[in-house]
Amino acid sequence: MIGSKRKGLGVVITAAIATSALLISAIPAHAEVGVSSSEIKLGITVPQTGPAATGYSKVAPAMKAYFAYVNANGGVNGRKINLIIKDDKYIPQEAINMTNELILKDKVMAIVGALGTANNLAVASKVQIASRGVPSLFVNTGFSGFADKQKFPTTFALFPSYAMEAKAIATYLKENLPTAKTCVLLQNDDFGADAAAGFKTGGVTFTETVKYVSGTQSSATGQTWVGKFAAAKCEVVVLFGVGTANAIALGVAAAGGYKPQWILGSVGSDVTTIKATLNNPQATALMNGAIGASWAPDSADLTDEYVKQFREINTTYNAGAVFDNNVMVGMSEGLLIVQALRAAGSNPTRKSLIAAIEKKGSTFATAGYSTLAYSATSHVGQTGFWFGKYNLAGELKSVDGKYTMYTTDSAAGPVVKTEQKRLPMPAKGLPSNS
Amino acid sequence: MHSLRRLFLFIFSTLILLALSLKIEELRVYQGAQIAIYALGISSIVLLTGYSGQVSLGNGAFMAIGAYTAALTQIHWHLPLFFTFVVGTFSAALAGALLGGGAARLSGPYLAGATLALAVGLPTLANQFTILNGETGLDYTSGTPPTWFGESFTLYKWFFWIVLVNVMLMMFFVRNITSSRYGRTWKALRGNPVAAQLSGIQVGGSKILAFTISAGVAGLAGSLLGMIGFVGPTGFGLGLSFALVTGAVLSGVTSLAGSMLGAVVLVAIPELASVIAHRLGDTERVTSNLPGLIMSTLLILTVLFTPNGPAEQIRKHKARKQ
Repeated sequence: MIGSKRKGLGVVITAAIATSALLISAIPAHAEVGVSSSEIKLGITVPQTGPAATGYSKVAPAMKAYFAYVNANGGVNGRKINLIIKDDKYIPQEAINMTNELILKDKVMAIVGALGTANNLAVASKVQIASRGVPSLFVNTGFSGFADKQKFPTTFALFPSYAMEAKAIATYLKENLPTAKTCVLLQNDDFGADAAAGFKTGGVTFTETVKYVSGTQSSATGQTWVGKFAAAKCEVVVLFGVGTANAIALGVAAAGGYKPQWILGSVGSDVTTIKATLNNPQATALMNGAIGASWAPDSADLTDEYVKQFREINTTYNAGAVFDNNVMVGMSEGLLIVQALRAAGSNPTRKSLIAAIEKKGSTFATAGYSTLAYSATSHVGQTGFWFGKYNLAGELKSVDGKYTMYTTDSAAGPVVKTEQKRLPMPAKGLPSNS
Repeated sequence: MHSLRRLFLFIFSTLILLALSLKIEELRVYQGAQIAIYALGISSIVLLTGYSGQVSLGNGAFMAIGAYTAALTQIHWHLPLFFTFVVGTFSAALAGALLGGGAARLSGPYLAGATLALAVGLPTLANQFTILNGETGLDYTSGTPPTWFGESFTLYKWFFWIVLVNVMLMMFFVRNITSSRYGRTWKALRGNPVAAQLSGIQVGGSKILAFTISAGVAGLAGSLLGMIGFVGPTGFGLGLSFALVTGAVLSGVTSLAGSMLGAVVLVAIPELASVIAHRLGDTERVTSNLPGLIMSTLLILTVLFTPNGPAEQIRKHKARKQ
């Protein structure tokens, strides 16, 4: 009797263990926030309205369009990507509020392409995304600080930093315009400070440095800047401001007949912004002959396979929005995000996503002309710039036809000239990496 | 109300809210902290406008002074958090006393204009002095919660606790001062300055005192807002000053108790607008204009139907019933 009771108990225990094992095996190995069997939720904060929305408001819809294209072609390992866009109006407190909503209400797996230096710094400090373990992928800013893995362990930079760009421009100036009287326009914040440090390391001395306060750019302040450049008899002027500031400087100088050799930084050379700021569709003519630095192909370069593919996707999935550098940035980031998610495994988690970029990120295909520098010790993305001249239509054409890259770091490392090299665009723009 | 009973009520409410925060999801806890801070900011307007009859469109500037001085003392002098609040409060109060000196000679639209100029001009100073770090702002933090609270006690709960205790302490002080002889003096001033002066009230001194205390209250609200949010020029722009005035009108300019209602509305409207905008298809025009539309509609309705605020309306309704 006792034996049969024991036998019965054994059967019950075995059945219980078997049932538990079955149930456990039925549960996905990783029940990660924002990841279900059919969907991966991502979030982005960008200015969709307000003064900074011109140009920038196109980035997130472009990224969403690229994800729609990927979703229509099977998604990421069978999961559709759902990108939730939040308007931060380019105000840090709004960025904090919106990121809170994304993480705590919408429960996204990761923040992607968050835009703005001050916004990203405020979010890192007050939302504490790092201690929450939330990845912030490919932030849309060139502030060199975000590459500091110790301080921002879950954040990955994509753009080469402002310091890198300033060092590259300094080298280009020393090589090509060594005796010219050179001046510079800088923004009076971290963006400008980062660049100023780069110019200093690059060994360039400016005859006149004009700093403007973000948000104060207008025709009146533009008159002051250009007046200073003209008074200092600057032969070369580096416009290292945002698009609205650079546009105003170009417009005021043209109206006053002042014609130095302009050098445009990559941040402030967006054609859409320049045209919108000057309220003139022909404003690109003001860029004609200016030298520009860029880390990616020009959005009008139809010979580039990335541009070609993104334009096709844009036509079908982005309601035919005018294809410009903002759209290309949004889609390029989308391409990287899909590769990162694929590399994170069939059941991606926040941890595996970060680990995947650290381990395999340098092998991801990207539109940028330098290879990505991600590793276990580095969260730096692109590291180099090429130089070109703008034509009447505002298109940047390589000065040497070879896209020679000026590659460097954000610190005191040398600027090295290399041949442009990058991985080919995945077939049909759909990554198949793992 | 007897002051001891009032003290008990404040302590009891604080304890209840602290306990509630442990049961509420994190986003709402953060919004709760925002509501408490806005309520304090609105109280600073109620105290100034509702009690002493002086109009200020620039209390956001006093909040900025509080936030910046608190942040600077933490960054450069490494003062403990509570003392940074004290510095923020007194710095703003000092600025209020200085402005109050001039304001005592002004009234009506002239005073509104002077305070408006302060709200417009002050945040731009952040871009003129390197120590204020321009648009990037200052990193002013509460630090992490004590480990003995346990892992479930998150950063936002810590924010809420710090905010609530400080707000309730200041509210208690404000409530007491408005029911003291100073409060009665201000009411007399608001009712009829000439009659008040004839009764022996020092008009100038009383106005300066009201400005000083109002600015100090706003300074603490600013310090707290900076601690949970962003200390930078865009964090304390003209929009904040207008939001406080709007909140004060919605809650009834003479009602301290109603300030909570105004604060809830200020925090809830963006979220409500976002839900409606989402249903309407998230077009840029709807998203950018809807919060303003809702706020304006509410303001018009308030002025038309409850000019002294819902709290005052309920009180009158009760009085009529009795």
